[in-house]
Amino acid sequence: MDVISKSKIWLSISSVLIIASIVSLLIFGLKLGVDFTGGSLLEIKYLQARPEVNVMQEKLADLEIGNINIQPVGEQNVILRFKEVSEEKHQAILNRLSSIEEISDEINKEESNAIAITEDGKEVTEKFNSSVIEEQRFDSVGPSIGQELKTKSLYAIVIVLILIVAYIAWAFRRVSKPVASWKYGLSAIVALFHDTLIVLGIFAILGKFFNVELDTAFIAAILTVLGYSVNDTIVVFDRVRENLPKSHDDFSSTINTSLNQTIGRSINTSITTLLVLLSILFFGGETIKYFVLALTIGVIAGTYSSIFLASPLLVLWEKVKK
Amino acid sequence: MFKSEKQKIRVIFASIIILTIIAGLIDFGQCYNKYRSAFPEMKEIPFRLGLDLLGGTHLVYQADTSQVPAQDRMSSVEGVRDVIERRVNVFGVAEPNIQTSKTGEDYRIIVELAGVKDVNEAIKMIGETPLLEFKEENSEMKELTPEQEQEMDSYNKEANKKANEALSKVLKGENFIETAQNYNEDIESKDGELGWINKNSGYLEIFDQAEKLAVGKIYNRLITTDKGFDIIKLEDKRTQKEEGSLAFDKQEVKASHLLICYEGVDNCENKLSKEDAHTKIEEIKSQATAQNFSQLAKTNSTGPSADKGGDLGWFTREAMVEEFASTAFSIAVGEVSDVVETQFGFHLIYKQNERNLYEYKISRIFIKKKTKEDIVGPADAWQNTDLTGKDLKRSSVQFNPNDNSPEIKLEFNNEGKDFFAEITERNVGKPVAIFLDGFPISIPTVNEPIKSGDAVISGKFNIKEAKLLAQRLNAGALPIPIKLINQQTVGASLGQESVAKSLKAGMIGLILVALFMILIYRLPGVLAVISLAIYGLLILAIFKLWPVTLTLSGLAGFILSVGMAVDANVLIFSRFKEELRDSKPISKAIDEAFRRAWPSIRDGNVSTLLTCFVLINFTTSIVKGFAITLSLGVLLSMFSAIVITKVLMQLVITERFENKKWLLGIKK
Repeated sequence: MDVISKSKIWLSISSVLIIASIVSLLIFGLKLGVDFTGGSLLEIKYLQARPEVNVMQEKLADLEIGNINIQPVGEQNVILRFKEVSEEKHQAILNRLSSIEEISDEINKEESNAIAITEDGKEVTEKFNSSVIEEQRFDSVGPSIGQELKTKSLYAIVIVLILIVAYIAWAFRRVSKPVASWKYGLSAIVALFHDTLIVLGIFAILGKFFNVELDTAFIAAILTVLGYSVNDTIVVFDRVRENLPKSHDDFSSTINTSLNQTIGRSINTSITTLLVLLSILFFGGETIKYFVLALTIGVIAGTYSSIFLASPLLVLWEKVKK
Repeated sequence: MFKSEKQKIRVIFASIIILTIIAGLIDFGQCYNKYRSAFPEMKEIPFRLGLDLLGGTHLVYQADTSQVPAQDRMSSVEGVRDVIERRVNVFGVAEPNIQTSKTGEDYRIIVELAGVKDVNEAIKMIGETPLLEFKEENSEMKELTPEQEQEMDSYNKEANKKANEALSKVLKGENFIETAQNYNEDIESKDGELGWINKNSGYLEIFDQAEKLAVGKIYNRLITTDKGFDIIKLEDKRTQKEEGSLAFDKQEVKASHLLICYEGVDNCENKLSKEDAHTKIEEIKSQATAQNFSQLAKTNSTGPSADKGGDLGWFTREAMVEEFASTAFSIAVGEVSDVVETQFGFHLIYKQNERNLYEYKISRIFIKKKTKEDIVGPADAWQNTDLTGKDLKRSSVQFNPNDNSPEIKLEFNNEGKDFFAEITERNVGKPVAIFLDGFPISIPTVNEPIKSGDAVISGKFNIKEAKLLAQRLNAGALPIPIKLINQQTVGASLGQESVAKSLKAGMIGLILVALFMILIYRLPGVLAVISLAIYGLLILAIFKLWPVTLTLSGLAGFILSVGMAVDANVLIFSRFKEELRDSKPISKAIDEAFRRAWPSIRDGNVSTLLTCFVLINFTTSIVKGFAITLSLGVLLSMFSAIVITKVLMQLVITERFENKKWLLGIKK
C-alpha cells in the first residue's frame, strides 16, 4: 500500500474535516453544561404519568428562580435547568413538582405544597412526595466554581500538550536526520489537534441539534484522546526511528515501509479498543454515553491521523527543507 | 541465580500462578467462603463504589476564613472537616469521604456521601451544624501600614486644600449654594442644606460655632472634625420648643443642689434614718440663702457634686428625674427651693440661671477626610479567640440555681480547657462573648479565671430550646462559618441501573475482544486472552486492596486500560509474526519480538501516564477516578504483556510448532 504518494488526498481529507469542525465550532459554539457555566440541573423521574411541560412551568413560576428550561427525556424523565439555588429552594421545587398530580385533580390546590413556617420563623419545606417522583440527579454549581473549572481544564490540556511534546522530543532525541527530533513532536501535535478538533466539532453539532452538554467527564475524554492519539502516532514513528539507520531507500520510502509494517497493528489495536467502546456505547448506561462517544470518535480520528496525517507531514517537512 | 533459562521461566510461571490464585481469592472471597468446607476462611473485602454508582451526593462547602489569621486558616478548616465528619458519622453513612482543599485564597470542604439513602436529610443535617465561637473584646486596633498612612495623609492634605479653596470662594461672596454644589461631599444633601440642628442633633462642633454667629453670616474658618472639614453659614435661628401640644420654649437651667440621703436608698453611705434625714434637711433649709448655698452644700451634701458646692451646670428637663426637674424649672432664678423628695433622698435646689435653647438652620459645605476606618475597615467590637466549637466535648442542659432557668453547660476537651483558662485569665473583669451562628448568645463578665473547663450559656431559653441546642452542640459545632456552593446528587436507582448496564456492556466488549484476538493471532491470541484474564484478576484485587473508589468513569478507565493491554500484546504478536516470516527459529523470534516491541509499548504508555498524572491533580472526583484506574491499568498492562504473556509463550510455544505455523497465525 502506497500511503505517501497519495499524501495529497489524505491531507485534503484531514483539512476538510478540520475546516468543517472549526466552522461548526464557530457557528454553533460549544454547549457548556452547568459544570462550567454555573447553575442547576435537576433530573426527575415521574413514576406515574408525566405532566405537561407548561403545567410544570406554571407550578414553578412563583418560586423566583428565573428562567427554567424544562426538557422531557425518554418516557418518564424530565431535566430542568435553572440558576444556582439554595437547598431550601431545591426542596421547594421538588415539592411543587411532586404535587402536580394533585393540581390536575383540583384537590388541595393551595395547601398541598405550601411552604411551612416553623416556630423559629425559618422556612422549611415538607418532604416531597416520593411516590410521585424520584430525584435522579441534582447538580448545583456556583458561578465561581464553573469559571474555576474552565480555567483548570484549559491548564490541564495545555500542560498535557507540553509534557507530550517534551517527551516525544526526548524519546526521539537520537533521530536527527533528515528531520529534527522536535519535528516528530510537532507532527504528533498536529495530529493531536486534528483529533481533538474533530471531536469538538462533532460535539458542537450534537450540542446544537441534540442538546448535548459538555461536562467535566468530557474534558477527561478529550485528554484521553490526546493520550491515545499520541500513543498511536508514536508506534508509527518508533518504526521509522528503527528503520532509518539501516534503510537504503530515501526518506519518503522508508516512511512508507514503516507505515506498512505498522498499519496492521494500528488497525487491530483500534478495532479491539473500539469493540469495547462500541459495546458500552450501545449497551451501556445512559450516564457515560457521551463520554464514551467522545472517546470513540477520538479513537477513530486518532487511528486515521497516525497513519494518514502525522507521517505524510514528516515527509512534507523534509521536502520543504529541500 | 538460576541454573538455566528454563528454570527461570518455571520459577516466574509458578510465581504468576500463586499471584493469580491470591488475586482470585481476594476478588471472589464471597464465593470461596461459600464452598470452602475445610479450608480457612477468607476475609471478604468489598469494592468501594463511588457515588455515581451507589447514588449519593458530592457537596462543596466554602469556609469563611476572613476572621481567622492567615497562619491558622488551614487548621480551622480542618476543624470544620472533623466536625462534619462526626456529624455525618452520627448520620450513619458507611464511608464518608471528607476532604479539605485550598484553591487560591479559598478554603473548601468537600463532602462525598456515597450510598446515603436520604441525601436531602444529610444536607440539612450538615447545614444545621451550629457555629460556636468564643470572642473577647477587641483590644488591638488594626494598624495602618506606612504606605497607607502616607496615602491617608496626602489625601487629607488635598482635602484641606480643597476646603480652603471653597471657603475663600464663599467668603469672597460667591453664591453659597452653587459652591456647595461644586464642593460638597455630603452624600445626603448636594446643595449643602443641613436643616435645623439643635444641641442633640449630633453636630456638636457645628452647633458650638453656630451659637456665636449672626444670622446670614458665614463662619470665616474651617471647622475640622474627625470626619472632615465643614464650612458653615447660619441661615436662620429660632427658639427650640418643648415637645407636646403647648409648645413652650425649651429651656435650660443652671442650678446647684444639696442632697441628704438616708439608709436604704441607692448609693447611700450614711446611717441616717429617713426621719432624721428629713429633720436635718429642714434645718439646713432654714439657714440657706443664695449666698451661703455653695458652702452648705460643700459641708452637708451627700451627692457626688458636693465638692463643687453642689453645682450641676446647665441641664435640660430630660436630664433629671421628674420631681427634681419640675421644681428646678418652676422656681425663680436666685431662689432656694423647698425640700424635694426623690429616689435619691431629700434635695434643696438653688437655681442660678435659666435660658432659652435655640435651633439653628445651617447650610454647609462638607469636605470628607479619609479615616483609618475607611482604609482598614471598621474595627470589630469582638475578636476571635483560639477557642471554638471544635474544642467542645459535651454539652448538657442544667438549671440555674438562683432562678431555676434552663442553661447550657459546655465541657471542653483538654486543649479547649487550656484555651478557656487562658481566655478567662486575661479577661478578668471584662466580658467574653459566646457567639452562636454568628450572633452573641451570651456575654458573661469574667469574675475569676476558670480552670475547670466548664462554661455556661445562660440565655433566654425555654426548656425545649435548651434541649435542642444542647443536642445540636453535642453533634459538633463549627469553628468558622461555611456555605454550600456546589452540589451534585445522583439518585441511587440511576446509578445502579447505569452500573449494571455498563458492566454487562463491558463484558460483551471483552468477549468480542477475546474472539477477535484468537481469530487473528490463533495460539498466541489464546495465550494473550489468558494473560489478559490474569491481568483482570490482578487489577480487581488491587482495586479492592488499595482501595480505589470505583466510579462510572473509573470503570471506563479500566476498560480502556484493557484496550491498552491488548495493544501491547498486539504489538508483540505483530513483531513475532514478522520475525517468523524472516525464518527465525521460534525461541529467537519470541525474544526479538519482545525486545523490539518494548520501545513502542513504553513510549505509548508513558504519554498516557503523563496525561493521567495531570488528570489526577484535577481533583474533580469523576475525572480523578478515571485517571487513577487508567494509570493503574496501564502500569499493570505493561507487566501483563512483558512478563505474563512472555512466560506463557516461552512455555507453550516451543520448537514443536515449527511445522504448524498456521497455529501461530502464519500462512504457509
